[in-house]
Amino acid sequence: MNRVATALWNPIVAKEYRSRMRTWRSPLAMSIYILLLGGLGWAIFSAQAGSARNSFNTGQAANYGQQLFLYLVMFQLGLIAFVTPALTAGAISGERERQTIDLLFVTRIPPFSIVWGKLIASMSFVVLLLLLSVPIFSLVFLFGGIELDQVLTSFLVTLVAALTLGLVGIAFSAILPRTLPSTVAAYGVGFILLAGTYLYGLVFPTVIDPSSTVAATVAPAPPLITYLSPIESLVVISNGTTNGYGVRYGGAGGFSGGGGGCSTVGGVTTCYAAPMVAPGAYSKAIFNGQPVTSGSAIPAGPFKGWQFWQATVTLELAIGLIALLASGIFLSPVRRLPWRRRAPAAPATPVAT
Amino acid sequence: MISVERLTKIYGHRTALDAVSFEVPKGEIFGFVGPNGAGKTTTLRILAALLEPTAGRAFIDGADVSSQPDRVHERLGYMPDFFGVYDQLTAAEYLDFYAACYRQPKARRKKIADDLLELVGLTDRRDQAVDTLSRGLKQRLCLARALVHDPAVLLLDEPASGLDPRARVEMREILKELQKMGKTIVISSHILPELTELCTMIGIIDQGRMRATGPVKDVIQRLTSGRRLRITVLGQKEEAAAVLKPLTMVHAVTTVNGAIEAEYEGDDATAASILQTLTAAGIKVSAFSQLDGGLEDAFLRATSEDGE
Repeated sequence: MNRVATALWNPIVAKEYRSRMRTWRSPLAMSIYILLLGGLGWAIFSAQAGSARNSFNTGQAANYGQQLFLYLVMFQLGLIAFVTPALTAGAISGERERQTIDLLFVTRIPPFSIVWGKLIASMSFVVLLLLLSVPIFSLVFLFGGIELDQVLTSFLVTLVAALTLGLVGIAFSAILPRTLPSTVAAYGVGFILLAGTYLYGLVFPTVIDPSSTVAATVAPAPPLITYLSPIESLVVISNGTTNGYGVRYGGAGGFSGGGGGCSTVGGVTTCYAAPMVAPGAYSKAIFNGQPVTSGSAIPAGPFKGWQFWQATVTLELAIGLIALLASGIFLSPVRRLPWRRRAPAAPATPVAT
Repeated sequence: MISVERLTKIYGHRTALDAVSFEVPKGEIFGFVGPNGAGKTTTLRILAALLEPTAGRAFIDGADVSSQPDRVHERLGYMPDFFGVYDQLTAAEYLDFYAACYRQPKARRKKIADDLLELVGLTDRRDQAVDTLSRGLKQRLCLARALVHDPAVLLLDEPASGLDPRARVEMREILKELQKMGKTIVISSHILPELTELCTMIGIIDQGRMRATGPVKDVIQRLTSGRRLRITVLGQKEEAAAVLKPLTMVHAVTTVNGAIEAEYEGDDATAASILQTLTAAGIKVSAFSQLDGGLEDAFLRATSEDGE
């Protein structure tokens, strides 16, 4: 095997697979996962199938399909967010508690490969869970309204979110000596990353100043931090629009959320149209009579023109990379950081022999 | 093969190792003895490149433990004072995993595992789950694990701790076998007699300082050079002590359990002349014997002297 293959596929991966799959916990976790996701899918499917049959309207059915897809994707994200830290937050600290970490350090496996091996083993299980959910997601295609690329993109977003949570979990397990605090920290940071940043967009949205006399040329975008959350990305993937998430009109009479309206300040009329115009279209903001349409892309800011999911995946991978580096640094038994200098030789002291 | 030069490790305000130096030539078994907390494990962890020394240097077969940890790990088998086993793995899989971690080719790993299981007498347990093995068997498996890459040097931290007498004897036999194979072995223990039979060299460490080091015979001779007499007298202890103390060959006189213990420099003739002096002074000696200058005794004295 060449060096890259050796680094990617190290003995830790094989050992973890063996250990994990020989316990009753893994099949149990997979069964519970399928039962929960399948149960939810079946319940929503049953409820919507009746309505869709009665409506005789393919547009309506497609709408049901989108709703079912969104429910499933969100529920899957929640389940994965629940499972991943449990898989990784004890990866390194568990080795410490079992007193096996020193035994790994004295082998020829570098600390980074230990982290990598643990990550691959944990993420393989997450990928297995995602694959197991594919048949459940196929229910969506009975209604229509969702294309294959939407399914693939949403799976990618979910997988990257899981990867980030996994890396954060491993970083905490490398930094903190015990599994319990590491698990608590991993779940805490996971919640902030996934739900906290989304809530931030709801509580502290970008406020459109209605008193501004300067004619805006682009539609407003949600705060940067909100792109970290995969929730809005998944909403945009399934609905094709943001529904005005993370943006608020600051004045009375203006649109907030799904509404629309105009305000006239200093002779300049600024109108914000209702955002849900058509699938695939971002909110149409009409500025000073000039409509600016951004589709499902981010209209402003450093990610201007990107799809929401692209921004989410990029930011999460950046956080994951930081967590990976932190894991490698904190895991090493002897941290040879450039700012740490070794002390000079000890002064001579008499040794009794 | 192993060279330690003024190794010092300071944790906060506590000095765990204070300029420890010793050398272990190839093929020797070095017994590293000291009471609990003396600095044995710290030294071994530094030698295994798991801990960075505050000062000083150490080399394993020429590789610097601070700057060349990879080269050190190639040459070194380390067995810590705990088992470190995984659940859900059999003994053979456990060895195969570590052999893979030491980058042993896949084709050779089965043979390595089988040979090592045979060496440590676990062939019939090859398919038993590691976590169900008894303490003694786990210890043997861990020794086998330290050997998967055929290292030239073995560091064994308290390999016999917690083992029953039979398991200790078995462990000793395995270590003798390893010595025949030309391995250089460092064994730490807080029980000295455990090592005297096995070791060719010895180092006594206490409170982070090396008290004595060298070939076993030399260390014993050095530590037991002051011979001791136990003298029981009929009620004239003070008088007897007063007679003994001025004698030039007597270094120290103490009273232990009602008897006088006198440390002296010299041979049996010197002892006879001490007895003569006592009786000539009118002291009624009821018992007069040479105390056995055992290694354990020497060890206790070595580790209690200069103790801060």
